[in-house]
Amino acid sequence: MTLHERLGRLDGARELRDFHTQPAQMRAAAHGKVGELRLGFSMRNGRSILHDLYRMAPLLVQQALYWDEAMPELPICAIISVGGGILQGDRYKIDISVGEGACAQVTSQSANRVHQMDANYASQYQTVTLEAGAYLEYLPDFTIAYRGSRYINQTDVVVAEDATLLYGEMILAGRKHHHVDERFGLDLLSMTVSVRRPDGRKLFTEKFLVEKGDPTVDFAAVMRGFDAFANVICLTPPEIATRIKERFATNFEAESPRAISGVSRLPNAAGLMLRVVGVESYDVRNEVRRFWRIVREEVRGRTLPEEFLWR
Amino acid sequence: MADDETRTPIASLDMVRLARLLQFSDSTLPIGSFAFSNGLESAIQTQVVTDPDSLLQYVELVLRQAARMDGVALLHAHRAVLAGDYQGILDADSELLCRRVGEEQQLMLTRVGKKLAELVLKITHSPVLERWLADIKAGVTPGCFPIGQAIALAHVGATEVEAFVMHQYGVSSMILSAAVRLMRIDHIDTQRILFKAQERVQDDYLAVRDLSLDEMSAFAPIFDVLVAHHTTTHVRLFMN
Repeated sequence: MTLHERLGRLDGARELRDFHTQPAQMRAAAHGKVGELRLGFSMRNGRSILHDLYRMAPLLVQQALYWDEAMPELPICAIISVGGGILQGDRYKIDISVGEGACAQVTSQSANRVHQMDANYASQYQTVTLEAGAYLEYLPDFTIAYRGSRYINQTDVVVAEDATLLYGEMILAGRKHHHVDERFGLDLLSMTVSVRRPDGRKLFTEKFLVEKGDPTVDFAAVMRGFDAFANVICLTPPEIATRIKERFATNFEAESPRAISGVSRLPNAAGLMLRVVGVESYDVRNEVRRFWRIVREEVRGRTLPEEFLWR
Repeated sequence: MADDETRTPIASLDMVRLARLLQFSDSTLPIGSFAFSNGLESAIQTQVVTDPDSLLQYVELVLRQAARMDGVALLHAHRAVLAGDYQGILDADSELLCRRVGEEQQLMLTRVGKKLAELVLKITHSPVLERWLADIKAGVTPGCFPIGQAIALAHVGATEVEAFVMHQYGVSSMILSAAVRLMRIDHIDTQRILFKAQERVQDDYLAVRDLSLDEMSAFAPIFDVLVAHHTTTHVRLFMN
């Protein structure tokens, strides 16, 4: 089985140079370790539907459900990982596209655990494509980077001028109460998002890179006192971005805050970025929801339903 | 008096070059960088920076970030100038802007870049800088400061190492001159911090000199919230 070209290209990343040994278990990128998912949403008879679905274990999606009471027209798919987390040698590829005028939400079933690794690494390559007027909320649950984990993720987004994408990554720096060296005990966390217009014009790129032993992780301007963070981008037309930014109040208490957050403008009028840093995952999630609600209200005139008790 | 034959030949002393490097790294260079504090105002308000020790750490973090982003773009632009690869300069310029989050950060990056080009062109003739400034005015390229710095410094004969050091020096002196006006700290403490912070410049250069533009990266989530915080603060002296 040959790896998808862009997924395979991640293998050459400089930050993976020390992690090319083969696992003693199944070899890296073997059949059964390459998960693939393709989701296509479009308008059919005035309704947004999941019209295209291709999946290969360990990634799985079942049917789209319409359970959001505040936005009943929204098809929602939850990505399920049947492997119980991301393991060394795993290679994932996810493609999500939303056709003209359609809306969708893609989330995940639960926290995404990137397990401890003693050989190789795990990689994920994603594409997200939004056509004119499309609206997508792609907000997977927390990624927990275990001690010794090595994870590289690249997401390439193509977004039409008048479409809106809300995409977020929430990260917990290890299993908090598991081990004294767990917090930021990861070997590698490399996450890149790159955004273009359909004509190829580049709008925004961001690469987050945390490597083992990074001396700045506990600096007061990096992550001191906090264990979780979120990186959320809202790609949306400038006038909507302005309305959202005006409504989202920056949260940065000087005295022992549970979470801090703020919204900044992306370059090239691409939209907004929400950055959240928090003590616990739920502190971060609350801030993400506060932003998410405003985005949905301003873009689609719908609000968010009440949070489920089990979230 | 030393014998003439034991002295270094005047031609290899390069004194004019050194003098011009000093001129271009002077914090009084009128390009407007004095109006920016790199988020320090918010860092003080939120108690991320409270005293000389935490200020040193803040400066070190900003230097580390600057090396891994702006420094990479600067090195690429400098090499492109020397190779006569004008498109390479534009690539470094747009790739850097693509990674700058926050309207004030974007404004700072491009306003100072343009002002530097205008200033340098008033005092010396550089065809590359002239072309770059014309492209900024035509909206072809954003005009990021480290790119202008790379072109101007290559023009006066700076090596890429020198250009990198000068860029990093400029970043720390900008924060520290703002610190004197924003917090209880005197000039001796800020000079001590500057002296100490400069120790890292060689390691930062070695860490980034081989990186491609695609490899520019960062990791400072609290700093990113500070940048957002700063834009929404009403009473302040500085831009980000």
